[in-house]
Amino acid sequence: MAEQRGSRRRGQGELEALVLSALQEADGPATAGWVQERLGGGLAYTTVVTILTRLLAKGAVTRERAGRSFAWTPASDHAGLAARKMRRVLDAENDREAVLASFVTGLGPDDERLLRELLGRPGSEGDD
Amino acid sequence: MGVFVFLPLVLPLTAWPVARLAEQRLHPRTATRLLTAVAAVMAACSAVCLGLLMVVGTAQLPGNPLPDGWSDPEVREAVPYDEVAGKAAIPALCAVLVLCGRTLWRHGRTRRRAHRALTGLRGTQVAVLRDDVPYAYALPGRQRGRVVVTTALLDSLEPAERRALFAHERSHLTARHHRFLLAVRLAAQANPFLRPLRTAVTYTTERWADEDAAQAVGSRRTVAHAIGKAALLSRGAAPAALAGFAVAGPVPRRVAALLGPAPVARRWPSLFTTVGLAAWGAAAATAVSAMSSANAAVTMTLILYAATPL
Repeated sequence: MAEQRGSRRRGQGELEALVLSALQEADGPATAGWVQERLGGGLAYTTVVTILTRLLAKGAVTRERAGRSFAWTPASDHAGLAARKMRRVLDAENDREAVLASFVTGLGPDDERLLRELLGRPGSEGDD
Repeated sequence: MGVFVFLPLVLPLTAWPVARLAEQRLHPRTATRLLTAVAAVMAACSAVCLGLLMVVGTAQLPGNPLPDGWSDPEVREAVPYDEVAGKAAIPALCAVLVLCGRTLWRHGRTRRRAHRALTGLRGTQVAVLRDDVPYAYALPGRQRGRVVVTTALLDSLEPAERRALFAHERSHLTARHHRFLLAVRLAAQANPFLRPLRTAVTYTTERWADEDAAQAVGSRRTVAHAIGKAALLSRGAAPAALAGFAVAGPVPRRVAALLGPAPVARRWPSLFTTVGLAAWGAAAATAVSAMSSANAAVTMTLILYAATPL
């Protein structure tokens, strides 16, 4: 019972990951019905189609017409899908510096020359 | 309370010298803590004083819900230039509240969204994204923070440099640098005179993580090379939104600092150096700021209490 409620409350991201995993287990293009069966019937057919369409918009899957329905193929793995989603989060936030301390910030016009000079300089006084 | 009520609004100016000097002369850990504390206290005092001025200003508006006694001449005498200052304080305080509220809300939203984007990946601390844009950052989390890095960046670094990168980001997470960054960000919105402190703390937290990474991998030079490579790689490759501000300097300064000798960890700078003088100056101004806003708050409360018909 608790498990059922938990699965119903599952986030979109988790469902997308689930559908993508199922699709990756198929040999070649698979239909939405096949994906639904593969997932054990926990999701409605329409839900699976909705999630696949969302993945298509994100570029994580591709589809081709097969008879009256579509056959779906994964275009990227989880790491690729996560990268796309992350890119959207970062692009949406102009002043995200406050949240996410980046490893490096942008370089100014003179910085590049200065940086190359610094790194190219031989010397061991910095080593410890 | 007289002109003292205005002091906390302008005293942040005294923190400018230490903001400039601390990032070069103090250990980054000391500098971060000192500057953040100064910024937080000064911002709080400045907000309190704006609030007091606003009470005086609001009491003059016809139809306000405050007790009539609050617009008495005695109350207004407590604040010099009460007409102008009081009315100007109303939009100023509203702007501060809106800006700070928006910042907090966005901070939470970005963190939530970024964590959500990582669902589906394995739950390891380091999340590797398959992306040809090179970037890396530390994503703080309530239970556990994560290090986000793309394959493009990892592929271009040597194994030792990768360790330096991970150590740098882990230092951000374990030392909870995002709290310092959020604090100075809010402070800079509460009083724009505190902006140089925000810039300084943004830099010193990076330096702090750099030094931690240098200690973890045992070579300052490796960390310097990792930063330099990542910066040269990100240039041009990163879309406009991913590149930070094109402020000249932070990255080369970080690299130069790493190629130089390690900073000495001191608890508090001596008074007889430039940075010591600046640090003590800022600390004294912070104390004065706190005292004048406390003085103004107490005086105002007493006056308003006396003016309130019971």
